[in-house]
Amino acid sequence: MAERVKILSGDWDKPESWSLATYKASGGWQALPKALKMQPQQIVDQVVKSNLRGRGGAGFPTGMKWNFVRKETSFPKYLVVNADEGEPGTFKDRAILEKSPHMFVEGLVIGCYALDCHLTYVYCRGEFRKAAAARLQQAIDEAYAQGYLGKNIFGSGFDLDMQVVIGAGAYICGEETALLESLEGRKGYPRLKPPFPANAGGGLFKQPTAVNNVETLANLPAIVEKGGDWFANVGVPKNGGTRLYAVSGHVNVPGVHEAPMGTTFRVLLDEYCGGMRGNKKLKAIIPGGSSSAVMTAEEVDWPSDFDTLKAKKTMAGSGGVVYLDEDTNMAFALANVMRFYAHESCGQCTPCREGTAWLSRLLDKICAGRGEKLDVDNVHQIARQMEMKTICALADGAAMPAKSYIEKFRGDFDALVRG
Amino acid sequence: MIALSKQAGVMPSPFDAEQQRRFDEGFEKAVAKYPPDRRRSALLAVLHLAQDELGWLPEPAMAYVGFRLDVPPVRVREVVTFYTMYRLHPVGRHHIGVCNSVSCWAMGSESILRHCEERLGIRPGQVTKDGQFSLEEVACLASCGTAPAALHNNFTYVENVTPESVDALIARLRTEPGQTMAPGPHPRHLEDKHAIEKQSQPQATGTVGQAAATTVPTDKR
Repeated sequence: MAERVKILSGDWDKPESWSLATYKASGGWQALPKALKMQPQQIVDQVVKSNLRGRGGAGFPTGMKWNFVRKETSFPKYLVVNADEGEPGTFKDRAILEKSPHMFVEGLVIGCYALDCHLTYVYCRGEFRKAAAARLQQAIDEAYAQGYLGKNIFGSGFDLDMQVVIGAGAYICGEETALLESLEGRKGYPRLKPPFPANAGGGLFKQPTAVNNVETLANLPAIVEKGGDWFANVGVPKNGGTRLYAVSGHVNVPGVHEAPMGTTFRVLLDEYCGGMRGNKKLKAIIPGGSSSAVMTAEEVDWPSDFDTLKAKKTMAGSGGVVYLDEDTNMAFALANVMRFYAHESCGQCTPCREGTAWLSRLLDKICAGRGEKLDVDNVHQIARQMEMKTICALADGAAMPAKSYIEKFRGDFDALVRG
Repeated sequence: MIALSKQAGVMPSPFDAEQQRRFDEGFEKAVAKYPPDRRRSALLAVLHLAQDELGWLPEPAMAYVGFRLDVPPVRVREVVTFYTMYRLHPVGRHHIGVCNSVSCWAMGSESILRHCEERLGIRPGQVTKDGQFSLEEVACLASCGTAPAALHNNFTYVENVTPESVDALIARLRTEPGQTMAPGPHPRHLEDKHAIEKQSQPQATGTVGQAAATTVPTDKR
């Protein structure tokens, strides 16, 4: 096996991998002085070249997003970090914050310099408060003490303040505009777009704002040090770099595994996760968090990059991969997934608020053995009618699994219903 | 709204002297994170501070937080009822949340929840008679690789949970004082903010480390 490229997780096996000393010993905090000698636009150009795609779920090209913000003439501009990791099956941002927070902080400083931003917020989910967010705060305090944050960083004249803000338990706040609402001290109702956050009027405090994921920004030091072309070559076309695959479910070695973009689900399972637990047969794969359409065992050779999976009508999403074995009943799995969405729908748009709750009730009825064939058809139809009708993508994220579980595992549903 | 504090005059604080000192200290830090004209944005953080001191958010605490930030009462209430980590009733001094999302479910979280219910004699949303324990189902904690996962008092992770580790945890917690909990009505059923009417609980997977059951559950509780 070839040497595995580790851009993000290289230090994770070391003792106290989160400390400043460990990060500096492996060459950390050297990309920032290099970046500060570049023009901000040069950094953005490197990011465009690197084909870095947003790691939060949508896979939007980071360089393009940053160019939108740079074009705006309204100041101040903000960079807000989405550390509200809550997609079921996803736990890679927490791993970064707990195991290499300095790499992320350095990436964030570089990002802020590239965007002419002098105040940045990291929005962590509430549950992280005493673990991941505390470790991040420690790294930020150390960075201030070293002069990597604050006034006149490395004598460049660039000032930056970094604040950690804690949420209070709402999945919807991982949606970027709901996150901004929450950051402004309100309930997390997603905003109607346009204006988009990158544009004046749509971002934090109505200013142009880039909202980026933790993992996305943690890649910045490597891109600055080794160049956008190098980064792009690690992955597959249009999908640069590696990805932290957060693997869970019935595998022998669950956990966060760093693999090049576009690694197939078979390679991920066999070479990184030690195969299925107890030599059971693979039944289903959730490729990118519970919102993504499910895959069957026969589809295990699909590459995991954003474009391939989009073409296959599912999505690479958040990189939370769940392998389920032959003993799993997919109707029960869908009922579980749908309870989550019914619980987490913010209630703003009717198709989502009513649709998710309706789907959840129908699926619970089916799983209790009181369902009819018509109920299964209804689940599919309701899901189709929820798509593309709401302000944010939560309804689509609930509809995608509902449709795909039924289409690909109809047998599990039919076995539970009458008629 | 700017005149709110003036109209209200002095708002009585729900805290004792020591709590007030900690709250004020945290309050200044929370507000300082935002630009001076955006101090209201600190609402979520300040509510966390109040809940740290009281264990839950009684009406006077919400009123006081609104007063300190010049936020109208309705907006405070809106936020408190929207986010699941804020509590409208007292919970146990040890509040245990068991994750029920898909990865934990696949690894047997339902049997963990049932085990907790049996050991504590309460269902999710209830508090034990002595006020020491309460139980809740929570959504994905970003701990899927170490499933099943649970959460103690909102912020402390408990991972790779087994029935045995639940027993050990409960035994340990019985000897610890736990979080402060201001007195208040202990409802038999705590309000589940976003509860949807459950016709039954899906129970597909078996116990931890065992194969999932594929049959329709006969146990409908």
